[in-house]
Order: sequence, then structure tokens, then C-alpha cells
Amino acid sequence: MAEKVGVLACSGEEYLGGTLSRLAVRHVMNKLRPGRVSTLCLPLYIAGGEEEREFAKKYPCIAVDACSKSCAKRATIKYSGAVRDVLVVSDVIGEEAASCRTVSARDLKPEHYAMMEKIADAICLKVDAILAE
Amino acid sequence: MSKVIVVPCSGIGKVYGLMAREAALAVTDHLAKETSETICLAHIVTGDEEVTGKVCGQSCISIDGCASLCSFHSLEAAGGIVKGKFRSVDEMRFHRGANPGTGSDLTEVGWQITDELAAKIAVKVDEIQKEAK
Amino acid sequence: MTRSFAVLPCNGLDKSAGCIAREVALQICEAGESELICPVFYRLAEAKYTKLAEEKSLLVIDGCATRCASKLAAEKGLKISEKINISEEAKANGLALSDGLRLSAAEVEFARQLAERIGQETKTAQQAVTEEKLKFPAELHFQTYAKDKFLFKIPDNAGFYFNENDVWAYVSGKKARIGVTDFVQHSLSDIIYFTPPVVGSEVEQFEETGNIESGKAVFEIISPVSGVITAVNETLIDTPELINQSPYEKGWILEMTLTAFSDDRDLLHEFAGYYPVLKRKVDEFHV
Repeated sequence: MAEKVGVLACSGEEYLGGTLSRLAVRHVMNKLRPGRVSTLCLPLYIAGGEEEREFAKKYPCIAVDACSKSCAKRATIKYSGAVRDVLVVSDVIGEEAASCRTVSARDLKPEHYAMMEKIADAICLKVDAILAE
Repeated sequence: MSKVIVVPCSGIGKVYGLMAREAALAVTDHLAKETSETICLAHIVTGDEEVTGKVCGQSCISIDGCASLCSFHSLEAAGGIVKGKFRSVDEMRFHRGANPGTGSDLTEVGWQITDELAAKIAVKVDEIQKEAK
Repeated sequence: MTRSFAVLPCNGLDKSAGCIAREVALQICEAGESELICPVFYRLAEAKYTKLAEEKSLLVIDGCATRCASKLAAEKGLKISEKINISEEAKANGLALSDGLRLSAAEVEFARQLAERIGQETKTAQQAVTEEKLKFPAELHFQTYAKDKFLFKIPDNAGFYFNENDVWAYVSGKKARIGVTDFVQHSLSDIIYFTPPVVGSEVEQFEETGNIESGKAVFEIISPVSGVITAVNETLIDTPELINQSPYEKGWILEMTLTAFSDDRDLLHEFAGYYPVLKRKVDEFHV
């Protein structure tokens, strides 16, 4: 049984989906599943971050992507061989919302936080499934 | 004239990553809206051809959260001409003892520091544009 | 015999410490063949002082903890031979600095004594010149302990000792080099400030000697050994993140001449003793 799950999320600056995926992953790590989830920093992971890559080899990882370019999924497959599960943000909050222009944390509204919660819940389902294996 | 490309790191793990991201948004959405734009760092590090083509040979500003300098190194690797290199962690040296917040939320002083950083970056964008003229 | 320097004082015009720095610089230059570098002019037009900075040893005089003169020297790529900090010297000598900008009689006398002390060749300075340099291993071998995505490295080369405050000392003959372990740099995250100890000061085992600070916490460096500080890693003042990047090599903090190592070592761990200490701390602490 896995003790911990890694989550590699895009936090893409160009789309709202990136902003929300970043917040959602942190929410899962800090509040919803504390101690069971580690986030991996995508640019550091790709640029050769030894610790991030070693973790991804040892523990099951979920890739969370905001857009169809699937940077997180592709990076996880490339550097750790396999991705245990994938979440595409647009599948949760809809393509239109996910591909809106990104929003500063100053300007986030209750509806944004509601979308973030939905994404976080979807991540939790996947985390729980992996932990239960 | 091309816009200056401002690329923040996506540092999901630390408050400095959020500060870098928010500073970039403040510059490209408000302070230097007509003269700057942002590009998702993940697209650059994964070698997305469309994006790296846009960066190559162009004036860029990197905003990193920490000494890993993911944005700076990635922009250089993609052929960008980095004319401004900023680190949000360096701004903390002018605010000893301040608590800027977490990777999800900035405190009031965190926003103040971010706005100061954004102002410096906007000045740099302006300088770069004037040089190009 | 008086020593000859290129003297770079800070330009602190808004506090007495800065004014004292200027006074000390003037007195040193008047007493011998030292020459003054104007920090303001140097920043704008360094050509005037390039030759001077190359020919003479550089003495930096900072007024306060902002260390403007040290930072200017680092910015210009200069090697600092000696430095003093007026605020720290005043504190060490029990002098309360005034609020005014005109120097009091006590401050003038303090400046004179400081200038005199610096200007003369001292026994300590001679010893520092003749003493052997510390021989640090060319290559370190590490063992690691992993927790989540964090890897904690500890060198297992002979000569490394650790205290339970997670500070290491590499001992070579009568010299030691000191730094903090990988556990400390991970716990603190990005280190932003380094407050160095004073070169020449004497430190007892387990006494505080400088500190490092991140956005999370201030970490007091508890010396694992007793001795006299002979060198401080000046580059950490402007690039403290070297401690995060390379805590055992580029991020070394200070060097000292040991005074009681045969007693001190009884209270220190070598690698085998420290590794379980580290594991316990890592397991208990969420980094």
C-alpha cells in the first residue's frame, strides 16, 4: 500500500486552469490530505531536480494539467517512466472556464474558489484510490 | 515592436513562487500591459516548439522564486535574451523579519513586497523597450 | 610598523556609526600610507580606484548591520583582507552610540583606539599569516537519508564532527572549518541573511557564533568546537543561498584555530553517531 502520493501539477500562467490547479494541489496537500501528498515543482523536475525525480520514481504520481499540452503528464512519463493517474482540469470545470485568462490571487472570486474545490475533490478521489491499492 | 517576454517560475512549493507569479501578472496585466506579455514556463521547459520559437532571440525578463533559477535557465536554454533577472526571494532582504505568506496566499506585507518587485520589473520593461527603439 | 591598506568605509551619513566609520578611516590614512576609497565615487566611476584596490590590502569599515561597504566590495569583486563593523565593535567595547551625527568625545576616542589597533601589526595577524591553511578534502563522500521528496546528505569522510544542533566541524590539525548540515538548510528553506561572527573573537564550544535566517526562522550557529575565529566565508553575506546549495562545501561558514579539541570531541558525534540523530529529527519534523 502506498504511503504517499506525488502530485505534479502545471501551474500555467496563461490560463485560469493553471492558477486553479496550483491552488487545488496545495489545498489537497495542506488541508484535505495532509501528510499523504507531496507536490513536485514542475520546472524544477524537468530541469533536473534530483529530489523531485527520485521521489517520482519511488512513489506513485498524479499529473494535473490545465490544458491540452499536458506538460505535467508528459514530464512525469518522460522522467519517471509512468504516471499513475491523470487529471485534466477542463474535465472538471469545463473547457471554457479552464482556458479563461489567468487571474491574480487578488482577484479570485467565490466562484473561482468553488471551482478550485471541485478540482481538489477530484484530485482527492484519485489520491485515495492510489493509497487504497 | 515585440513585447518583452516576462516569465515567472511556477514555484508551487514556496511563497516566493507565488510572489514571482503575481509580480509577473501585475506587470503584464497592469503596469506594462502594452509592452510586455507572459508565457507559461512549463511550455518552455517541455520544449514546446511554438513557444520556444516565440522566445528565441527575444528580449526576456525572468522572475524566479529562489536560487534554482528555473525561469532564467530555461529562457536561456530556449535562446531567449534575458535582459532582466529578478528573484522574489531577494526582495525579502529589504523586509527583514516580514512574513510574506504561503505558497497559496500572500499576507498584506507579501503583497506590498510583490508590488515593489513588480514596479522594478516594469521599469526594466520600459528600459528594454527604449533600448530597442 | 603600521600596516598599509586601501580603506573602504561605509558612507553612513545618517547615523553615528557611519560617522565613526569615516573617522576611523581618516585616522588610519593620516597615520601611515593607507589610502581612502570614496564609496560613493567608487560606485559611479571605479577606474579611479582600480589600481589602489589591486596594490593594497583592502580594509572594509562597515558602520552597521547593513554592511554597505562590504556589499560594495563584493559588487566590485574585491578581496577583503580585513573588515570591521563599528556597531559590533562598539557593543563589544561597551560603548553606547549616540543619536547625534556629531561625534562625542567618547566616540572620537573610540575611533582613535580602533584606528590604532588596526594600523599596527598584531601577533594574531602574524600568526594568521604564518599558520598553515586548513586542508579540506577535495572530494566529499555522502550518505543520504530520504524522507518524502527530500534527501538529506551527510559526509562520512574522516575528520567531520557534528553536534546535536546540526552544525558540523571539519577538523584538520589545529584548524577547523564549520558549517551547518543539510538538515538545517532544508528546514530553513531559502536562506536570506547571514550574520557572521567577528574574526579574531574567541568562541567556546556550544556558544553562539553568528546566525543565518530565512523567511521561516533564525538559526543560531552553535559552535561545535572551541577556538579563535580566523576566517569567515564573506561570499555568504551577499549569496547566503550557497548554504542551501552546498552546505558542506561552498556554503562553509567560518574557520577557526582550535583551543580545546581534545576535550570538545568527547561531546561530538562522528558520522556513525550523527546519522541516527539526523534520522530521528527528519522523521519527527515535517520539512
